[in-house]
Amino acid sequence: MRFYSVWLLAVCLVLACAGAQYSYAGEVDILVQKLVEKGILTPGEAQQIITETKEEVRKEVAQGKSYSLPQWVQNTKLKGDLRLRFQNKHEKAANDYSKDTNIGRVRVRLGLESKVNEKLLAGIGIATGSGDPRSTNISFGGYSSKKTVVLDYAYAKYAALPWLDLVGGKMLLKDVLWEPTDLIWDTDITPEGAALQFRKGLGEKADFFMNTGVLAVDTDTSSDNDAPMAYIIQPGIGYKLNDDVSLKGAFSFQAFDNVKSHTSSTYSSASNSGNSVKGTSSYMYDYSMINPALEVKIKQPFRMAGSNIETLKLFSEYVENLDVSKKASGFSAGFQFGHDKVSKWGDWQFKYIYAMLGRDAVLDVLPDSDRYGGKTAIRSHEGAFTFGLGKNTSFGIDVYRSERIGMAAKAPETLVQVDWNMKF
Amino acid sequence: MRNLISRLWVIVLIMLGMVAPCYAEKIVIEGSTTVLPIAQRAAEVFMDSNPAADISVRGGGSGVGIASLIDGTCDIADASRPIKDSELEKAASNGRSPKANVVAMDGICVVVNTANAVNGLTRKQVKDIYTGKISNWKEAGGSDSKIVVISRDSSSGTFEAFGELVLKGEKARPDALLQASNQAVVSAVSRTPGAIGYAGLGYLTFSVKAIDIDGVKPSKESVLTGSYGIGRPLFMYTDGKPKGAVKNFIDFVLSERGQRLVEEEGFVGLK
Repeated sequence: MRFYSVWLLAVCLVLACAGAQYSYAGEVDILVQKLVEKGILTPGEAQQIITETKEEVRKEVAQGKSYSLPQWVQNTKLKGDLRLRFQNKHEKAANDYSKDTNIGRVRVRLGLESKVNEKLLAGIGIATGSGDPRSTNISFGGYSSKKTVVLDYAYAKYAALPWLDLVGGKMLLKDVLWEPTDLIWDTDITPEGAALQFRKGLGEKADFFMNTGVLAVDTDTSSDNDAPMAYIIQPGIGYKLNDDVSLKGAFSFQAFDNVKSHTSSTYSSASNSGNSVKGTSSYMYDYSMINPALEVKIKQPFRMAGSNIETLKLFSEYVENLDVSKKASGFSAGFQFGHDKVSKWGDWQFKYIYAMLGRDAVLDVLPDSDRYGGKTAIRSHEGAFTFGLGKNTSFGIDVYRSERIGMAAKAPETLVQVDWNMKF
Repeated sequence: MRNLISRLWVIVLIMLGMVAPCYAEKIVIEGSTTVLPIAQRAAEVFMDSNPAADISVRGGGSGVGIASLIDGTCDIADASRPIKDSELEKAASNGRSPKANVVAMDGICVVVNTANAVNGLTRKQVKDIYTGKISNWKEAGGSDSKIVVISRDSSSGTFEAFGELVLKGEKARPDALLQASNQAVVSAVSRTPGAIGYAGLGYLTFSVKAIDIDGVKPSKESVLTGSYGIGRPLFMYTDGKPKGAVKNFIDFVLSERGQRLVEEEGFVGLK
């Protein structure tokens, strides 16, 4: 009898595949109910068959839609964003001279990610910019001149094993390192070289990860035959204390070798306003940095007080350059609360970060370019508010109040950025 | 420094090579927090009788589990809702074929104090009580007494299911008394004459009265047949028809023993 019922259902499934999908789902319901009434199936088995059959039919419809697209379209994702910005910078020098600069800027990024095969992914992105590794903004002006677009990233990612990815090329920063703030690395930087990403679950509550990478920093020059290279290793752990509280922590060692005596980048602030230099533009030191970092995420942190605030994040990181003994450390600490993601009307987020960087704590082509122009020897407060204007569009205001430390003059600077963001 | 780093790289590569064999036959389960207790309990019992099995179970929510199945980072996606069309399309374009495996039903009873004269409500009335539109039992066919609303804390799967099936996304009244477990809800309702609460069918005791919803009594059969309105299937999605270690585990969950575990966790078993 059981065999008969299974056979009957199998016949019906074949009919469903033949095309009469929607009407068939209802017929299966009736048939299965009859089998329940006759005691051939239990109500539980009936529920299982009805639900699973409906799901199978829905899947076939969805696959039909998906398969109707050309294969290369199915394997390729296109993404991008547009940001319009008004920026005011108020600078104050030692003699009380002050200066205000107002500019309009635009940032456009367009990227595609294509699955070459089951294990290999290729990503290519272009963006507005002038080549500055820390910025894809382009300023309005130049009598409405046409603006330049540059290659932002181009990488290949190979999923060698379920727990190991190999990445090479001009990569996304997240494929090389995890960082809770932009104390050391501006998030716009796309490092060049190769990286390994390792991850392993440690029971139901913890995950272990390790990022390692070898990066090209600059090429040889005629006066200096050893090209500066960076070597990175970052083991870390994610741990879920309970449904509401989770932690993520990592300890990285980042060695920038052969930087000493190498000519500084045109995009760095070296000379007398950034890292220590020999002569006018050669770095005085190498940069072997240790960097512990921690982030705590709490869901609905103020529930007890009747507040519906979705998420609170607390984060901090520290950096010390082991190759230098003075002015060689820095740290950041801050918090973010509001919605986890700003994706629709009414979603909001507020973030505050305090950051301090000694003059030779990090290589000065790396830190956030908005924090005192990306220089070292600074301390800074940053407050940022983002408000969702609709699906995939938001308004943001970001204020930095920064000043020099360990310099003759503090030369404070206030930077206000008002943004309209659109993602597509 | 460069030599040191080169050696570190070699060590890292050796470590990665050493841990590679450990991954044979490992099952990663991820997804719905509602299904999590079933998956955890079944994994524990399954591993006890199959010492070679290595099952890792994580929560994260149905969407997270399904996304991981589509990305190939988990073997089984726990879900308290059917997969969405957009997820099916994404899966198809990623070369995955999610197969729904119904492993249990989630049935939620609405309970009142045994002294309460009300024997049944419509789902709309229950919604109105929980959202504050009805605050006195006389507005719902009972005596003139204030309704004390008892709910679950927002981290529970039962809260999530009740919100979806009854409240339809609206929020419960802010003065609802929140309880940390199904047993605590039943206990609070049994002690409070004007109280209303909800709990999984498996937690029902004689200390409270389970009321009819839209004229249907809550029972294992009415949940399984779908005639009782506050019920939903719970899924373990696999990529295609389950095979190997994954099939063994799903078969275990659907076995008599596995379904007993489902009922012990307060859900409705299919057997």
